[in-house]
Amino acid sequence: MLELLTLAALAFGLGGAFSVFALTARRLVVVRRERRRVAAEARLRPLALALLEGEAGSLHDLARRDARVLAGLIGRYRRRIRGESAERITAFFEQRGLVDRELRALRSRRALRRATAAFALGDMGAETATSALVRALQDPKRCVRASAARSLGSLEAVAAVDPIVHAFAERRVPRLIAGQALLAIAPRPLRSCAGLTSDPDPEARAFAIELLGLLGDPVDASYVLPHLRDTSAEVRAKAARALGRLGAEEAAAELAAALDDRIVFVRAVAARALGLVGDTNAVPALLEVARRDDFAAAHAAAAAAAHLDPRQVTVAAALEAAGPHLQEAATLLAVRG
Amino acid sequence: LISGALQWLAVVALAYFAAVNCVYLLFTAIAARELARRRRERLFAAEDEAFASPLTPPISILVPAYNEEAGIVESVRSLLSLRYPEHEVIVINDGSTDGTIARLTSEFDLVPVPKVLRAHLASAPVRVAYSSRRHAQLWVIDKENGGKADALNCGVNAARYPYLCAVDADAMLEEDALLRVAKPILDDPELVAASGGIVRIANGCRVDHGRVLKPGLPRRRLASVQVIEYMRAFLVGRIAWSRAGILLIISGAFGLFRRSLVEAVGGWSTKTVAEDVEIVVRLHRYLRERGEEYRIEFVPDPVCWTEAPEELRTLAWQRRRWHRGLGETLWKHRTVLGNPRYGSLGLIAFPYFALFELFGPVIEALGYPIVIAAFATGAVSLPFLLAFFVMSVLLGVLLSLSALALEEFSTRRAWRAADTARLVLIAILENLGYRQINAWWRLRALADLSFRRRQGWGEMRRRGLGLEAGRRAGAPAVSRRRLRRRFGGAA
Repeated sequence: MLELLTLAALAFGLGGAFSVFALTARRLVVVRRERRRVAAEARLRPLALALLEGEAGSLHDLARRDARVLAGLIGRYRRRIRGESAERITAFFEQRGLVDRELRALRSRRALRRATAAFALGDMGAETATSALVRALQDPKRCVRASAARSLGSLEAVAAVDPIVHAFAERRVPRLIAGQALLAIAPRPLRSCAGLTSDPDPEARAFAIELLGLLGDPVDASYVLPHLRDTSAEVRAKAARALGRLGAEEAAAELAAALDDRIVFVRAVAARALGLVGDTNAVPALLEVARRDDFAAAHAAAAAAAHLDPRQVTVAAALEAAGPHLQEAATLLAVRG
Repeated sequence: LISGALQWLAVVALAYFAAVNCVYLLFTAIAARELARRRRERLFAAEDEAFASPLTPPISILVPAYNEEAGIVESVRSLLSLRYPEHEVIVINDGSTDGTIARLTSEFDLVPVPKVLRAHLASAPVRVAYSSRRHAQLWVIDKENGGKADALNCGVNAARYPYLCAVDADAMLEEDALLRVAKPILDDPELVAASGGIVRIANGCRVDHGRVLKPGLPRRRLASVQVIEYMRAFLVGRIAWSRAGILLIISGAFGLFRRSLVEAVGGWSTKTVAEDVEIVVRLHRYLRERGEEYRIEFVPDPVCWTEAPEELRTLAWQRRRWHRGLGETLWKHRTVLGNPRYGSLGLIAFPYFALFELFGPVIEALGYPIVIAAFATGAVSLPFLLAFFVMSVLLGVLLSLSALALEEFSTRRAWRAADTARLVLIAILENLGYRQINAWWRLRALADLSFRRRQGWGEMRRRGLGLEAGRRAGAPAVSRRRLRRRFGGAA
């Protein structure tokens, strides 16, 4: 027993000593690497900016380490710029063989390497990588699929719209990343989203309708309008919100009818949408909802009515039967103007 | 006979010691693996996209405040400037007796508004609600005192958005913290019920206008020891529990919840001193009883900075309260313990917390006299005793250093070399005295619980984090307030 304890003490002591050693060694490595990177970035920044301006000379004599730092630097710039400068950056990555390297990495056995490569290809603006990235949407690992979807959005790859929509519908790509990619490719995803509105899965329908509301314009309301009578309350609410965002005036009557929906949050979203559509004819109905309905719907209706016709809300709030929501809305009008 | 009994007890104590430390080592290994994975995935987290996306859901930040005049303005200012597409800040003044409301009113140009609150959750009466002329997304609800849980429930009633983020009034969030803690929800909105972020100690950091400009180690040893403790709790414990899908604690200082679920479970409990632990357990139960697929996640990346007690008395009160809260929660939900209906929650998490966390101090406190008595009666030899002592200290040091190493390897920030050296020293010294006194505090909490003693309110003497800003504004740099308001639960 004593020997066992001694051995354990020795092992833990060695473990502790190793931790201290690892901490110290890492600190030294990190500090040194960081110092070197900062210096290299400062040295190479003028070259990166010259590259963006198309004024850089030959880069063939660039040391390998410097080339890596330069690639990282302009990859970050690439996320924020468009046009000729972006094309020059893409050309730089292609000429240096970095696009091919990342394409090869997309076939790596390590999921993380594949995900990093998929992400980098988007930053490089490598349109030649589109088909490989579309294939990566089928990758067994979620992080790779998410990276590929995000990069396809950065590339504004029209060919990727259907695959991204399907990847989302099959829950292979996170909702936010799929949505953001489709928004980046806008307005081409509209047709795919319109197709997805008849998906049997209510979540997919709701997502497609939400995207239609973000991507479309008032003429696209025809895809959304029927869903105000969808069997799923979530879909009805998304449809009302989308119609509000689209500013679909022709939907005002249907939205006003949705103020009688049996689900309170659908009524609330419909009220908010009426405020966005801007139909002042809806004000009396909204005032009625504000006076009588449950909290969420009444609150939204009062705010929408205040947005549409502040004077009517101020007058209505002064009445005895105004209810608290109208009084709050009228006070906020006075406070915030 | 006595010698035999003592020998037997010593074996039990040793077995317990071995079991608990094996669990800790296992946690460390899980956390190391998980942190490495998350660190690599951070490279393609696409935070900028989330920030820019109209699909990112809006969040209501709830800030319960009691006698927070020293730091409330800085805190609210930092919350208003968080990098997140759409959020509102609701400060719930829980019957403060100081100038909290006056400071907020003058700084943010508050005006009374007859705000209508939902009646989903019961709370103490609201006196008046204020809206800000300068910031449309700021609301201040002034209510009668009812405790932190009561204030949070009032905030739920006032919230407009589908997600709630509970933040302590003296906590400071990093600029991207909200975006990062919401990341699991953005990725899987249907699945994720709640998520919690990491809490770090702000004592010793350079703070200005509610932002930590430069992390640093506290000067006082007592606060420095807590830095190591927080690392172990957050970077090791919570990551491992989160990985297993049975995270029981989301810190009261910083946690994100789906509002509909909070309302469905009845909000935060006012009958416990650890409302943050209790609500997470209730969420687990609620979702498991309905057979719903869900996740409650811990995100090691978003950072919330908070002030740690620097006085022994205050720390003792805090720890007693945390431990008592854990006991109350486990007792309230005792039907979960060992119940296969709740899966890993009943079969792993509850037994662990009951055996190793709740009753750990009892075994530890009994262990010392038993081993000494066993030595005195000759049941164990001096070399054995010494070897055991050295081994247990080294194991404690190893666990602390592992947490420190995880912090260094996984986070974006690195300690100064001198601070790292101090932390290593503290990791060694905390085993000699601090650990034992901590066990004593927790033992007293168990006694409080057993004899149903009401724990006093205590007082938190705090220096305030935004000292410079506070002084400029004429606020007191040091304030006292009731401890209950300060610490929302177990770290």
